Amino acid sequence: MRVAYATACGLALAGLVHVATVLAIPALSEADAVSRARSSESLDHPQQVYTLATGDNPAPAEAWLPIPDPAVAVGVCAFDLEDGPMRVSARTGPLMLTLAAHGRRGAFYAVTDQAAVRGALDLVILTRAQYDEALANDDENEPSRDVRIVAPEGRGFVVVRVVAGLPSQRPAANAAIQAVSCTIDSPGDEPAGGAKEPAKPNG
Amino acid sequence: MAPAAEAARPGGGAAAPAGLLRRAWAKASTVGLALYAVALGAGLGLASADWATRGGYPFGGVAVGPWTAWPRAGSPSADPYTRAVNARRGEVPLAVGEGLLLTASTDDSGRTLDATCTYRLSGVTPPARAWTLTVAGRGTPDPGRPPMREGFTSTEILREADGRFSITVGPEVEPGNWLPSPRATGPIRLAIRLYDTPVAASAGSLDREAVPALTRLGCRS
Repeated sequence: MRVAYATACGLALAGLVHVATVLAIPALSEADAVSRARSSESLDHPQQVYTLATGDNPAPAEAWLPIPDPAVAVGVCAFDLEDGPMRVSARTGPLMLTLAAHGRRGAFYAVTDQAAVRGALDLVILTRAQYDEALANDDENEPSRDVRIVAPEGRGFVVVRVVAGLPSQRPAANAAIQAVSCTIDSPGDEPAGGAKEPAKPNG
Repeated sequence: MAPAAEAARPGGGAAAPAGLLRRAWAKASTVGLALYAVALGAGLGLASADWATRGGYPFGGVAVGPWTAWPRAGSPSADPYTRAVNARRGEVPLAVGEGLLLTASTDDSGRTLDATCTYRLSGVTPPARAWTLTVAGRGTPDPGRPPMREGFTSTEILREADGRFSITVGPEVEPGNWLPSPRATGPIRLAIRLYDTPVAASAGSLDREAVPALTRLGCRS
């Protein structure tokens, strides 16, 4: 009787432990994409997590994507909005390119190169306060062409994917990942100055 | 406590040590049962959480014929198990605006896809700017068997005049679009990734005609 009671208590406890563990895994994991992407925070271009093998080159060691798509080059830029808004600038090319902004809870925004204006895709990820500030600083005669996205959380990463339809396009796909720039908009800057600055490394 | 003191007071009798022993045993068994309950709870809870978040997503998929679409794997509305699986594997799932992942581990008649069998994947894919088909076996790849080809892209494949296509997955060399089995034996899985597709937002409305059929042609015995 007492053994049955203890077993019932144990099973109830197992249920609680199960739920608590599953909910805690994303926060405690050190192998998740947000934690791993953080090593790229100081880079001004995406860290390549999956480079398309060219010829017989094996994939690089930093390829931590579990089941990578063998035809898609992937790069990540980590951001921490406490340092300021993050600007991601991509130039569209012949290859299909997608950008997605992820937080710890999942992707909160995604855009493909079809949304580009005159071949350029400018994404600015900011907090609500930084968004209000940017709106207040906007010049009415010269509206900003940036796509502004308010992030639900301060830390996350942007994923750049470039699809190489043919094996011969793989070097171009890898180069397209490297050509994307990820910069921190300095908070004091005028919007126009902030927009010009990141364009330089691309030019 | 009080009866034990009374029993001990008359002194010297054989009943006193026996009563004490019984009480000690009862106390020890209570502690033991409590420990057993805690150990059972912790052990079962952790083991079941590990089991549920290991490998693929336990649920959240939309079944379309032999394929399962995972439209919410990368969105903030993903269920906690999906998030835990992504966190443990370091996966960067496709976001809704980016694309859609479809996986298959069985053929049209429900049999598990096997590396020794030949399958034909034919028909059309849902509309997308680009798609890729990937084949993978479970576990780590065999080092003695370098992959000849892991997948096809929508640009690479040979098509019929009407735009339909047929891809053969199997261990034997085939003419046309041949995708070699990734390993000699064991279960295999197929994945279609649709990039920049309008169906990602409405995966529930996909019907069987819109995804490729997967038929088993035969098995090497």
